[in-house]
Amino acid sequence: MNKRLHVHLYPEHCARTLDLVELSAYVAEVIPCIETEVRGDLGTSYLSALTESARKAALGKLAEAFAKAKVRNPTQHDDEFGPLWGEIDYESRRLADSNSKAFGVLYDGFKMAYILRDLIPREERNLAHLHIVFTNQLFGTWEEGDRRYHARASFYSFPTLLSTSGIVEAPAKPREYYFLKQQYTALGMQDAMVVELERRFRGRFIDYDDERLTEVMKGYVMQAIAYHFWGDPFCEDENCRLYNAHWQEEVIQSQLESPYEFCPYHRRKLAELTEEASDEG
Amino acid sequence: MPIFHPVDEKDITRAIVGSFLRQFEEYADSDVVIVGGGPSGLMAGKGLAAHGLKVLIVERNNYIGGGFWIGGYLMNKVTFRAPAQKVLEELGVPYEEAVEGLYVADGPHACSKLIGAACDAGVKFANMTVFDDLVLRENNRVAGVVINWTPISALPREITCVDPVALECKLVIDATGHDATVVKKLEARGLIHTVGMGAMWVERSEDAIVEHTGEVHPGLVVTGMAVSTVYGLPRMGPTFGAMLLSGRRAAEVAQRLLQGVPVS
Repeated sequence: MNKRLHVHLYPEHCARTLDLVELSAYVAEVIPCIETEVRGDLGTSYLSALTESARKAALGKLAEAFAKAKVRNPTQHDDEFGPLWGEIDYESRRLADSNSKAFGVLYDGFKMAYILRDLIPREERNLAHLHIVFTNQLFGTWEEGDRRYHARASFYSFPTLLSTSGIVEAPAKPREYYFLKQQYTALGMQDAMVVELERRFRGRFIDYDDERLTEVMKGYVMQAIAYHFWGDPFCEDENCRLYNAHWQEEVIQSQLESPYEFCPYHRRKLAELTEEASDEG
Repeated sequence: MPIFHPVDEKDITRAIVGSFLRQFEEYADSDVVIVGGGPSGLMAGKGLAAHGLKVLIVERNNYIGGGFWIGGYLMNKVTFRAPAQKVLEELGVPYEEAVEGLYVADGPHACSKLIGAACDAGVKFANMTVFDDLVLRENNRVAGVVINWTPISALPREITCVDPVALECKLVIDATGHDATVVKKLEARGLIHTVGMGAMWVERSEDAIVEHTGEVHPGLVVTGMAVSTVYGLPRMGPTFGAMLLSGRRAAEVAQRLLQGVPVS
């Protein structure tokens, strides 16, 4: 595989603490042979390249596609439905404003990736390019084991999707978080619950606008790169940035509190990438 | 020495009937009819009437305010997450900060102030009035509501035989809460398909409900918890911030629709 990889990072404008320039510099430091680039919003770039009439039609199509990509029932796989007018309108408003937030909706990760893939310039739809799209949309993938959708922080595909909502919602929070949530819900004290949970568990999970977001996302970007080169984004070492964290505590351990960044095996693999690239010259 | 001016029973009856009929006749044709007099319906009505629009709120109960009088566990304290406390300030409702970002107010005070503000803005009410059906025009555009007295709906049809009446309007707002009663009438005709309430996800449900508040069918705007039912959004417990902000957004959307301005 071509080691002269071009990594393109697409922003999520609502995430105040997500610094793509820092992420780009980090990748270049770890694997100097990779060229990184921070781009504008993928949807906006795609739409702005079209004529006025084509843009309107494309926006409508995209909005409908995203509305169809919603997971209406997390226990039903690949549910085909005709979206409501209001759902398409909502997506249309969201797409037209790159600063919009898509809170409270779960999307199918595969369907999202298919939609976004078609927005990538045709000449860059090959293995010399790795497109990493940051989004505030929460997406999930279907698990046949327990027959339900699971929210995800990342989806490694073409393009790779990294969700700033998913990093908060997908890895499970501490167990006592859920016990407390259950108690507040039983009392009907929803507002107090949200505030109290945030207060009591602050720092123990990655939250919205978390100051640690960029640092955490370094590992997820590296997982995307690992997936690109080796077909496996993950490592079993919970101190390695490539660790597939299912709990917030594991995210914090592998991305923030680990005594090292990469396990010896992946450190060697990453070094080999650079060596092979310089050999290719 | 009598305190009050002497009046006959017939004067009282004529005052009630005359006043009621004048209003009823005038509001047989409104700008906006809002079905449901809970917090989202009241906020929507207040916002629209403040801009000079003719707004009628249809409420099936005798009392206005829906569930806004009480909070969780039947306790009459209502909570709001920031930034919804700003609405309380506008209404002149005293509140306390419980912890950072969470505010608590007296339910009766908040609810009565909101009702008062809606009345002050010019909203009129048809309480003890149940929504029965929709008036549909060309291309199934919603153009009014069919109503009846609430007690009629509680009686067996065989012994009541009281036909409903229709009110025309330019726009209807469904603020009927989880039931989404107005939208369900469209669904019964196969004109729309609601998704049903989603799973509990309180942290994000308020944002989602406000964001999805809007026109769901030509001539019909949906607000409050009805939004959750229509789109299958995460449901939530008694959190009133989203109801207030959703109602405000419904008023904005309705205003733009009435002005012929595309909402998107």
